[in-house]
Amino acid sequence: MSCRQWLSSALRGLAKQQPHSQPQTRLFSTTLQSRSSSPSSPSSPLNPSSPAPSASRSAFPSRLTNPTTTPTKSANDALFGIMRESRDRGPALTDAERRNVIKPNFAETIQSTRASATTDAFVRQMPRRWRTGDVYAPRDLSPVEMRKWRRPSAPKTDVVDMLGFSPVDNYRNPSLISEFMTDFGRIKHSKFTGLRPVNQRKIAKAIRRAIGLGLHPSVHRHPEILYRNARKTLGVQYRPDQEKGNSGPKY
Amino acid sequence: MVARSVSPGGALLRASRMFSLPAPIPGPPTQDTTSSSFNSTTATSAYPTHQVITTLSSSRKRGDWGLKRPLPLRSTTKSSNPMIRVKAIDTIEQITDFTSAADHGLTLRKFQELRVPVVVRKSSSDVSYKVSDYAQRSVFDSEIDTTDIAPKDRAQYIDQRWKFTGPWLAGMTEGDFKEYLSKHVRPRRTAFRAFLKQKLAEEMNGAAQLKAMDEGELDVKQTPVRARDITEDQLTDYLRKLRSHQHHLYAMVGTFLDLAPLKPPEIAIAKIQSRETFKVSENPYAQNGPPSTHPSAGITYLRTKSYMDNHPLYGPQKEHQPVQARVVKPRRNTPVTPASIGVAGIIASTRLGDSVLNRKSVGGALDHINPDVEGGSKLWVQVKQARVDSNGKIILSVDSAPMGHGGAEAELIAKELLGEGEGIFGQQREQNIEVLPENREQMRRQYAAPSAPMTVNKLNLNI
Repeated sequence: MSCRQWLSSALRGLAKQQPHSQPQTRLFSTTLQSRSSSPSSPSSPLNPSSPAPSASRSAFPSRLTNPTTTPTKSANDALFGIMRESRDRGPALTDAERRNVIKPNFAETIQSTRASATTDAFVRQMPRRWRTGDVYAPRDLSPVEMRKWRRPSAPKTDVVDMLGFSPVDNYRNPSLISEFMTDFGRIKHSKFTGLRPVNQRKIAKAIRRAIGLGLHPSVHRHPEILYRNARKTLGVQYRPDQEKGNSGPKY
Repeated sequence: MVARSVSPGGALLRASRMFSLPAPIPGPPTQDTTSSSFNSTTATSAYPTHQVITTLSSSRKRGDWGLKRPLPLRSTTKSSNPMIRVKAIDTIEQITDFTSAADHGLTLRKFQELRVPVVVRKSSSDVSYKVSDYAQRSVFDSEIDTTDIAPKDRAQYIDQRWKFTGPWLAGMTEGDFKEYLSKHVRPRRTAFRAFLKQKLAEEMNGAAQLKAMDEGELDVKQTPVRARDITEDQLTDYLRKLRSHQHHLYAMVGTFLDLAPLKPPEIAIAKIQSRETFKVSENPYAQNGPPSTHPSAGITYLRTKSYMDNHPLYGPQKEHQPVQARVVKPRRNTPVTPASIGVAGIIASTRLGDSVLNRKSVGGALDHINPDVEGGSKLWVQVKQARVDSNGKIILSVDSAPMGHGGAEAELIAKELLGEGEGIFGQQREQNIEVLPENREQMRRQYAAPSAPMTVNKLNLNI
């Protein structure tokens, strides 16, 4: 514990008491003092058990002698509290003592970090995403087989036929368009898209139309897609209610 | 005309393995529909598509697998699990195309060792949100395993069937649906009109009967309406009426095309039911689609798990014997991926709830790969049930081995059977049991036949 931390904690304690400071200051106000000194009310109505104001004003010696008094009432009290706390706590730990405190935790952390790193390294070698119901033989866990799951392959089925949509009608759909474009804005070859020639031509037409109308950039991905990908990789939660107010990228 | 008798050569050919090998079934549907998919063409598929064949060891030594030509000895005699699948009996290169089928063959054996029945969720009409509320029943339950139904009774037994000639619409993609409409539905328009006429005639007769009964007559005086008596105008009116009653129309179409029943999600059902009369299907396959084969997929014929395990020394056991599950992939936090657990060579689904497989227990085999553990990390789990989904995948539900009194005991016994760990109740297993070589006299005494006369057996032996 450094001195600065004690200071800051004390100041925090002060800040906490700020809202309640009003009645307390009034306790020491001249009006209250006069009221308490009046014969009609011998003790203060707010704090009947409190000592006389004159005694609480000279609080420094009383706090030293009696540590279980009322909480700090002023900046001076707070500073005094720091002194008292440090005195009660005693001197800081020596280096040797500190090492002893840290040692067991440190060893545990090192161990778990090492296990985690080993696991990560192995998991990186296992790119296959297992689904419930998948059948595996020992061969499927081998490095040769696992390496095959790292390489993307062209889809075997024609997506356009399967989903039964018209590509040309979807020229305003940037996520569809960018699925069939490379990072540099070129139209993907049918051996990568897996489309039959008729649908490949239709998709190509939709892409050319989107670019020709200025709806889609011709040299890179659509900013909306970039924003979406960034959000995905950064792990920011997608929240549509926030999206309305702050409409993503400014361009 | 006398039927032609099959020649001896022909009979031999027909009985041969060459002809008895069934044609391969279509493989599991691929799930890679995105533009870039990650898969392996050589990975073990979710279910076998080819028949697995094996042969006797004496025949195997000669390369005789009952096929057209002997198989090479070098690649077939070394395996301890002689199982092959034949892709082609003969090819243009004059070879028999075969590979090892030990993957699926052994998976089946391991699955059958689990001794779990294939079950299906019992459909309940009242909405329930607890998993435990859904009773499971065997797929061989005669109430839901009926195939021999006359075509005219199909609609009546819709909730007891698993096989339908029509598709399950909820499982179709838009493109497939459009193709189905154009290829299979549109050509049957005239047949559907005839079907509707029949239905209309039945309805009219029913209404007339009801009216007659209301008027206090025992029978209808008029002759019953026949389907051919219905005019086109009447049919058009009926069609218009049907269009405003969508559920009724769907029931008609479903009956005509023999569509697999649909069950909307439970939240949707509550909405629909409040609006109009809607009969929710009771078919257990309505929600997730009917199976492509028999719902058991032929992997087991057990009907129940309500049997008691017996141990030769410890007697009847409270719990079923737990099994070891492989941690195929440990769970990770970044990105959050659950652990993949394999039981009997099948990736299992882990149940929800507080268990070893759940998030609450951190650390250990489920979270870390320890390369020092030979053969990989394993867990003891209890297999709860097996199910075959509409894609033909085996879904095994596993739970952590029960930690109660019986559970811990079951695990100890299972370990002991594997030769691991110490004996149950802390007793040390006797390490060096002296095995004396038995002499012939002892063996004869031990396995001697009873002294009673065994005429039948002797007779049989003599024959």
